[in-house]
Amino acid sequence: MRLTWRIFRGPARLDRLAIQLGLAFAIAMVTVGMVGFSLADNWVSSRIDTSLRYHTAKYLSEAGHGPGEDARLQAKILEWQHRKVLSERTYVLFDRTSKRIAGRLDITPPPPGFSDLRFTGGGHNYQIGRGLATRLPSGSLFVVVQHSEAAMSLHALLPIVVLIISLAALILGLSATLLFAHLTAKRLSETQNTAAAIAAGDLSRRIPTDRLDGMFAVQAESLNRMLDHMEELVRAQQLFSSNLAHDLRTPLTRLRSLLEKASREGQSTFPSLMERADRECASIISIFDALLRLAEIETGRHPTAMSAVSLRPLIEDIADTMEPVISDHGGTLRVRRLDDVSITGDPDLINQLLINLLENVATHTPPGTSATLSLEHDGGSAVIVVRDDGPGLAVGDFARVTQPFERGSAVSSGGGSGLGLAIANAIARFHRGSLDLTDATPGLVVQVRIPANDSAHHSDAAEQSAL
Amino acid sequence: MRLLVVEDDPIIADHIVSGLIDIGHSATLARTGSEAIRAMADQAHDAMILDRMLPDIDGMSVISHMRSRGDSTPVLMLSALGSVKNRIEGLQGGADDYLAKPFDVDELAARLIAIARRGAARTEQTSLEVGRLQLHPSSHSVAYREASAALNRKQYSLLAYFMCNADRLVTRAMLIENVWSYSFSPSTNIIESNMSRLRTALQEIGCDPIETQRGAGYILRAERCA
Repeated sequence: MRLTWRIFRGPARLDRLAIQLGLAFAIAMVTVGMVGFSLADNWVSSRIDTSLRYHTAKYLSEAGHGPGEDARLQAKILEWQHRKVLSERTYVLFDRTSKRIAGRLDITPPPPGFSDLRFTGGGHNYQIGRGLATRLPSGSLFVVVQHSEAAMSLHALLPIVVLIISLAALILGLSATLLFAHLTAKRLSETQNTAAAIAAGDLSRRIPTDRLDGMFAVQAESLNRMLDHMEELVRAQQLFSSNLAHDLRTPLTRLRSLLEKASREGQSTFPSLMERADRECASIISIFDALLRLAEIETGRHPTAMSAVSLRPLIEDIADTMEPVISDHGGTLRVRRLDDVSITGDPDLINQLLINLLENVATHTPPGTSATLSLEHDGGSAVIVVRDDGPGLAVGDFARVTQPFERGSAVSSGGGSGLGLAIANAIARFHRGSLDLTDATPGLVVQVRIPANDSAHHSDAAEQSAL
Repeated sequence: MRLLVVEDDPIIADHIVSGLIDIGHSATLARTGSEAIRAMADQAHDAMILDRMLPDIDGMSVISHMRSRGDSTPVLMLSALGSVKNRIEGLQGGADDYLAKPFDVDELAARLIAIARRGAARTEQTSLEVGRLQLHPSSHSVAYREASAALNRKQYSLLAYFMCNADRLVTRAMLIENVWSYSFSPSTNIIESNMSRLRTALQEIGCDPIETQRGAGYILRAERCA
């Protein structure tokens, strides 16, 4: 009772839903009943009309054509009346002046063809029959009338049948809907409890599936998967915020210290302190720029920037740019095999991806570390490989370092924004590709795989000379 | 140059106006979009620094109004909205350059000079000769008097940009945008390393006209190419 009350008071307004469904069910059933009745009525009428047509033709043929036809028909009707006392069928003959000359039924002459006739069966109540009137060549009118008890009963039953069907359908529809609503509410109550618990902050709650079956179980499992993903995202967001706060705290603290120092010390040290403060500001701004960039890439950036990108000239250009940087770090940058591969992508993002990878070599490896760049067409993908001969990363760090603000355990916290590999990884994923780290012992191999535009390529493994 | 600064934040507006006056420009301040439109109608300016988000009419609408009236004054749009998408919107909306906040006044001034001169020099033919320093596109080489040196593609592009902007301050951001066409800021010393290679090549032929402006950028001095 309490559950039923809850159903009626529930947010889904199951009471109104039950009435609506019950009514819809009743209307459907009444419609079905009326269609059935109409078909039966048509069938009976059609059988009566066929019978009338048959008996008219039979009488007229037996009476024969030509002079004396009326008299022969009259005699045949009289003879039939003597023979049949009770029959559903009656024959009447009117002369050309519409005077009844044979047949016992007291009716007014109907028009030629089929018609419904009203007559009294000797009492006061009118009855309805079906008649077929045929005009004879002499001008007389021969009428065959058939009164069907079955058709009359069918018509009489119609209102009662419709009423009973409607009431039964309404009661059945309401009962079925209420039962369905009750069962649905029972199954959904666990989901509602879980949703309420999650809204209250308990992200670990899941919908119990052991008492569910069918579509409810499938839906609960699907919602649980969504909740798993949401929990993961919220945890990642919390970690991201905490890492961001940590990363910003350091340059902000340094900035504050510099400003305090500037206020304490004399004018002589002011320019150098200002310059250092400016560098701290630049470091903070660069973190925000990188974050903005990461968000931009992860939210789909601007689709108009996508075009066919020929990777070989792009990589040659990056090699030209980065060779002096690696060289200033004491190492060398060599370009190895470069296949002609084209992808659909954003050239600016691909540039950033490769610059980030090579900047990691220049900033996160010991002086003297060298690197190589290569591009291959492999199984429908463009594969760009950046390999260095530095100390590499611990294998356990491979997955972690592609997350924002996560650095390799050997890297000091002061090096870079902590977003370089996260941005490179986001760029690879943006291009429906992947970024994988492997151990090169010694050194690190970063392999970027992006779907190539076509298979047309020249695998002329061109060993490029040192820059 | 006579400049119109459109900025509603008083501290930032004062920072821009005083910074521009300090380096020898004349600057008028408008605090709203409608004030800016009136100021442009009252007096011609060499360039406009336009904040994108203003209290009444936004910066994009100000540009649209100006351009619809046939006013081609160069506009540098200044905005806290600094994503690539925002920049594209600004430039497609009619701005000649786009600078994201926070910014440096030297950077702002250098970009203003670049867009103002670009407008005046649209019909001029770009020369790759400054004094006796010549840049040959076909051989990617630089020549000074009798001496010459080969340059790689980046060194060539760098020198070409400097020669096109001789005697003007060229900032790091301008080089990244115009020589490398990057919309991101590399964290390593890409500019310094490549400049160092270029200047070594120029010193080898006896003419290094590039001067480093500490904390601001570089200037190629034409008088050193005589």
